Amino acid sequence: MALFAELRRRNVFKVALLYGISSWLIVWFVRAIEPEVALPAWTNTFVLFVLAVGFPVALQFAWTYEITPAGLRKAIDVDQTQSIVYKTGQKLNAAVAVLLVLGVLAVFGQRLLPKFEFLVPGVPEGDAPTSASAPMEIRSLTLNNGLKIIVWPDHDIPTVVMYDFVRAGGRNEYPGITGLSHFFEHMMFLGTSSREPGEFDRTMEAAGGANNAYTTADVTVYMDWFPRSALETIFDLEADRLQNLTTVADVVESERKVVYSERRTSIDNDNFGKLAEQVQATAFVAHPYQFTVLGWPSDIKSWTQNDLISYYRTYYAPNNRTVVITGDVTPGEVFELAEEYFGPTPAQEAPPAVRTVEPEQQGVRRIAVDAAAQTPLLHLAFHAGAAADPESLPMALLLSILTGGESSRLHRALVEDAGVAISVGGRLDEGFDPGLAYFYLTLPPGGNPAAVERRVLDELWRVADHGVTEAELTKARNIMLADHWRELATIAGKAEMLGQYEVFHGDYEKLFELPEALDAVTADDLRAVAATVFRTHNMTVGVLRAPEAEMAE
Amino acid sequence: MIRLRLVCIVLFGCLFLGEASSQGVTLPGAHHIELENGAVFILHEKRDVPLIGIHATIRGGAVSDPEGKSGLSGLLAGLLEKGAGGRDAAAFAEAIDSVGGSLAASAGLEAITISGEFLARDSDLMVELLVDMLQGPALDPEEMRKLRDRRINLIRAAKDGDLRRLTATYGNAFLFGEHPYGTPVYGSEASLARITHRDLLGYYRDFVGADRLVVAVAGDFDALAMIESLSAAFGDWRRAAAALPVIEASERQRGRRVLLVDKPGATQSYFWVGNVGVAVDYPRRAELDVANTLFGGRFTSLLVDEMRTKAGLTYGARSVLLRPSTPGSVAITSYTKTATTIAAIDLALSLLARIHEEGFSDNMILSGKNYILGQFPPTLETASQLVAQFAELKTLGLDESFINDYGNSIASADGEAVREVIAEAYPAVDDLVFVILGDAALIRDEIAKYGPITEIAITDPRFRP
Repeated sequence: MALFAELRRRNVFKVALLYGISSWLIVWFVRAIEPEVALPAWTNTFVLFVLAVGFPVALQFAWTYEITPAGLRKAIDVDQTQSIVYKTGQKLNAAVAVLLVLGVLAVFGQRLLPKFEFLVPGVPEGDAPTSASAPMEIRSLTLNNGLKIIVWPDHDIPTVVMYDFVRAGGRNEYPGITGLSHFFEHMMFLGTSSREPGEFDRTMEAAGGANNAYTTADVTVYMDWFPRSALETIFDLEADRLQNLTTVADVVESERKVVYSERRTSIDNDNFGKLAEQVQATAFVAHPYQFTVLGWPSDIKSWTQNDLISYYRTYYAPNNRTVVITGDVTPGEVFELAEEYFGPTPAQEAPPAVRTVEPEQQGVRRIAVDAAAQTPLLHLAFHAGAAADPESLPMALLLSILTGGESSRLHRALVEDAGVAISVGGRLDEGFDPGLAYFYLTLPPGGNPAAVERRVLDELWRVADHGVTEAELTKARNIMLADHWRELATIAGKAEMLGQYEVFHGDYEKLFELPEALDAVTADDLRAVAATVFRTHNMTVGVLRAPEAEMAE
Repeated sequence: MIRLRLVCIVLFGCLFLGEASSQGVTLPGAHHIELENGAVFILHEKRDVPLIGIHATIRGGAVSDPEGKSGLSGLLAGLLEKGAGGRDAAAFAEAIDSVGGSLAASAGLEAITISGEFLARDSDLMVELLVDMLQGPALDPEEMRKLRDRRINLIRAAKDGDLRRLTATYGNAFLFGEHPYGTPVYGSEASLARITHRDLLGYYRDFVGADRLVVAVAGDFDALAMIESLSAAFGDWRRAAAALPVIEASERQRGRRVLLVDKPGATQSYFWVGNVGVAVDYPRRAELDVANTLFGGRFTSLLVDEMRTKAGLTYGARSVLLRPSTPGSVAITSYTKTATTIAAIDLALSLLARIHEEGFSDNMILSGKNYILGQFPPTLETASQLVAQFAELKTLGLDESFINDYGNSIASADGEAVREVIAEAYPAVDDLVFVILGDAALIRDEIAKYGPITEIAITDPRFRP
């Protein structure tokens, strides 16, 4: 008790308290500025280390020395009757109070005050931003095994997003294993050497997280959305399935039925999917883009476990993936976790390249699908470029002018003015290899697909001959720019866009060049790309309608 | 000394609370203004991206459609986009698209909604277009005829497509029948065909006006200037001419009955099995959300786990709550290949029986609560999400505690209460309305065991007989 009283008299407890609060404030400050200034990844750990080492030193100092009117003296040398430790104690109390006030202001101020403009991607007042540089808080790191991690901190909501882009999709398949990339995506949720089938999802959801995944002809993307508190759990789950996946025979059989149900839902019993699959298969004769991503029915029924194992070994290597993390994190903590969890997986030989180049089309191709339908469907597909081709941006703008919104050319001409279609839309494939510029129309009952095809071609050739107006180009630029900002309004959108640009354009920083790239596109670029792409020799036409409608014509 | 110590304790408390509550998300502060004519504006500045989100609601919606004319409010909403102020339909669409904006109107069950997003620099244009849509729509007869006929054909196109999109429309129509909640919000082929231009003008006069209006704006703009311009624009606007219909509360239905919608050649059956559930102001909403999350609201829910992951019967299964101002519906919905129609429906029914008998374990309840809390913040992330929340709360007559206290009420939901709401909100397996879409010739006999069958063809222009 005497020791306790003496510790108290010499203000050791107050110093400990003051030290604790000061340390908390310092750590808080370092974390707060870390995303905005380029601090090295080890800063957090270093600061914590220094503070921890300093703690016993500070206590020892408080015990040994005492402040007197004559300056610092050893406590044992001070005459107790002359001691001013009580006054020093009051000063320490005041200091504790001041630091606490600062702490409260910091914690609440950060939440209540508007964000500082300079911390936000450059937004000139009253105008759409045109800055071409990536926000400096985005950081990336490539691990020794070739896995690249990109981090964009954003502390608006206490949530984190992790998107894992695997460079494997339908284009890596061949007859017999079509749809395997997508099936494999399903298997990634169904068990590892230490986790039962379903445990991945149960663990993630119990920690407040949710997930999904998608497969395209080019990539498979795994998406996790979770509270900050689950960060390490998610790393653990992801690393486990990327290193220790198992494929159990009866699980494969059960999941085969699930995938077939997915196919039945979005292709076999949906006229749009039914026709699109046939058009895709017709437009390509050599390149694997001809395969439906869900897989042909016979392949769904016959994939083997060996197919799955060999696919996992070939494509799910760290050097074939890019991980993007956005939200309430700091780059430092993410890089540390990435080293710990993703670092141990060895790099592998790069997967074999897709060698086949689609040969130039020799003339129009037509495909008819007979199906029960009240409303006939008409699809037109033209071979266009790959995502990274310079023509891809003018083509995207052109498709926007033709099919984007109620003021677009095809909507006005075919839906509003002539009434020969009830809806019209378009999409542009932006993948590793040249894909399609695709138009899809729904006709009213009794509609004549051949006549509507003629009208569509008239509109396309009008652009190829006469180009677009400056007003139309400005409109298309504005739509794309607004979409760009809409994507960047959410942490999920940020993760998706960073990943898309990193994977398909080779560098996530190119995302931020979009506003300038849009300005550089001219109306003449659009006319030129229209003239190259919208040729009947380059076209595949698909028509779906009821057999009786065809007979009646 | 004592006082200083007290101050320190209070400050510590603040720090602790500040750090602790940073895991929760609440609606940010906003300006609320109500004009004399009843119009309400809610404004919130948010400057992370140079966008402005707008969400305007007109209380009313499909429940105020006249008998036999389902889809009238939806058609009116569509017509608001087809020319207004000095602009015809083409010029109006051009004005929005040319600046990369969006501004779309649609009807819901109990409100018409206009929702949009513009770049910050176009905020004046956004307000001008909104004001024109509401106060000076052209409501041109020719545009109306075109839109009505197109919508009829779009319903036919939907019947050629993925039937998951139509299952609940058939389900609610068959469950509620003549009750306003049975109305197909978008209309049916038959009801749209009956709508005249006169109906349209009447609806606009009777059900659109300042006293029904809530406008929420959030994003990169100056709130005070926005208040001024909205107040000037809507200050003199008229009120709606007719009173809103009073919606009688539905009772849960007893026994079973079946609607079979025949789509010859379908290789898959789609089903919706439900009954009357609860209203938006159901007092134990948090407990019900926990129960529904665990039953059929997430990937590891009982329905998905048993029907998809374990049995491989389907790609998806859900339990869906429709919670309007008086009790709406609660339903299980899924699909499976034709040959396993009975197996899938029987399994779904056994799972409904199971939650009545066993409820959920405390571990599961904790997992469900964590899931809801973890997934809640991203629902309030963008300006567009915030405006929708602000406007919808006000439209439903709820205050912000509906959102702000949500996290706490989820966190404090306990197992006993969750078990009680299951008994209250979910129907017993003997009291169910079934809607099954599929190839009738192959399933008609087998599904007779669920109850008396009413059958219509998918090409029937109505959603119920």
